[in-house]
Amino acid sequence: MIRKDAIKIASDMIYNSPIISANGYISRDLFEADDKDTNFYMIGSMGLSSSIALGVALKNPRKRVYVFDGDGNILMNLGSFTTIGKLKPKNLIHLVFDNQSHDSTGGQPSNTKNIDLYKIAKSSNYTAFKTNSKIGLEKIFRKIKNMNGPIMILIKITKGGKPGKRITHLPVTIKKRFSQNL
Amino acid sequence: MLLKLRELSQRKMFDLLSQIGIENFIGVPDSTMKYFISQGLKKKKIIVTTREDEAIGIAAGMSLSKQNSLVFMQNAGFANSISTVTSLIQLYEFPIVFLIGWRGYLKDDAPEHYKIGRIQPKLLKAIGIDSKIITDSNLKECCKWAMNKINNSIPCALIIKREFHD
Repeated sequence: MIRKDAIKIASDMIYNSPIISANGYISRDLFEADDKDTNFYMIGSMGLSSSIALGVALKNPRKRVYVFDGDGNILMNLGSFTTIGKLKPKNLIHLVFDNQSHDSTGGQPSNTKNIDLYKIAKSSNYTAFKTNSKIGLEKIFRKIKNMNGPIMILIKITKGGKPGKRITHLPVTIKKRFSQNL
Repeated sequence: MLLKLRELSQRKMFDLLSQIGIENFIGVPDSTMKYFISQGLKKKKIIVTTREDEAIGIAAGMSLSKQNSLVFMQNAGFANSISTVTSLIQLYEFPIVFLIGWRGYLKDDAPEHYKIGRIQPKLLKAIGIDSKIITDSNLKECCKWAMNKINNSIPCALIIKREFHD
C-alpha cells in the first residue's frame, strides 16, 4: 500500500472529524485526496503535528482528534509520545504512516527500519495497532470506533507514488477555517 | 541573594495572567522562574513538556480552540525553537505569549549560557518578536501589555533576567 492510498482510506473513514497532518507529502496527499475545513495542514515545524493535535484534543474532549504523522516526523518529536501518554487524552488517535524513509526529501532512510514505533507507543500508554494493508486498516478503524484513546495506528506503507499537489490555501486561511469548524 | 523578580512577584504574575485571560501554561521548567511554575503547579494549570518546541505546538493547538496560552522556557530553549516560532507561530499568526528566563545575562553566569545569552535580545529582534523585561515594579504593566498583544493576535515575549547565582 502506498502512502496516497492509505491516506485516502483513512480520510474517508474519518469523515468530518479534525485532522492535523504532518508537513511534506502527507499534508499534500491529504489535500489532494480530500481537502476540507476540518483539515489542519501543518506546512512547516516538522515533528509537531501530534503536539498541535494534543492541544486541540485537550480543549475539545467531545471530538475525536486525528493526527496524520510520518515516521520522520514523529522521530523528530519522540517526546510527544510520552507527553500524550502521560496526559492520556481519550479522544486522540495518532496515525503514523511509516515508509521507513524521508520520502519528501528524496527517500533517504529513517530509523524505523530497525526501531518499532508500535512498541514505543505501547510503552507510552497508547493502545496500539499495526497494519500494512487496506483491509487491515479498515478493520482497525471499525475496532476503535468506541475505544478510548490515546490510540496509535502504525501503518506500514511502501515508498513512492506521485506526491499530491502543493497546498494552495494560505496558512492563515487553513487556521481560520479549521478553528471555525471545531 | 539578589533576585530582581522576587518569589512573591513571580507568584503574583501567575495569578495576574490567569485573571486577565491566559488559560494555559505549557513549557519546560527554568530555575529563573521556578516560583512562577510552582504557583501554576499548585493550581494544576501547568503542562510540562519534553522540549520547548513541543510546548509551542500544544499551545498552537489550544489557540486553534480559541484559548490563550503562555509558553515558558529558558532562552537556550527559545533559541532551539526559532524555526518553530517562524514556521508555525508567525506563519499562521498564532497569538502566544513566551515567558523566557534569560540565562547569560550576567557575565559570570555558567559558561554554557554566555554566548547565547549575549545575543538573546538580538535573536528576538531578528525574528520580529516584541518583548519586555519584567521587574518587581513593572509587573502589572507587562502582563497587560502582553494581553493586549494577544488580543490583537500578535505573539510576544516577556523576559525574566537571571540576576542571581545558585
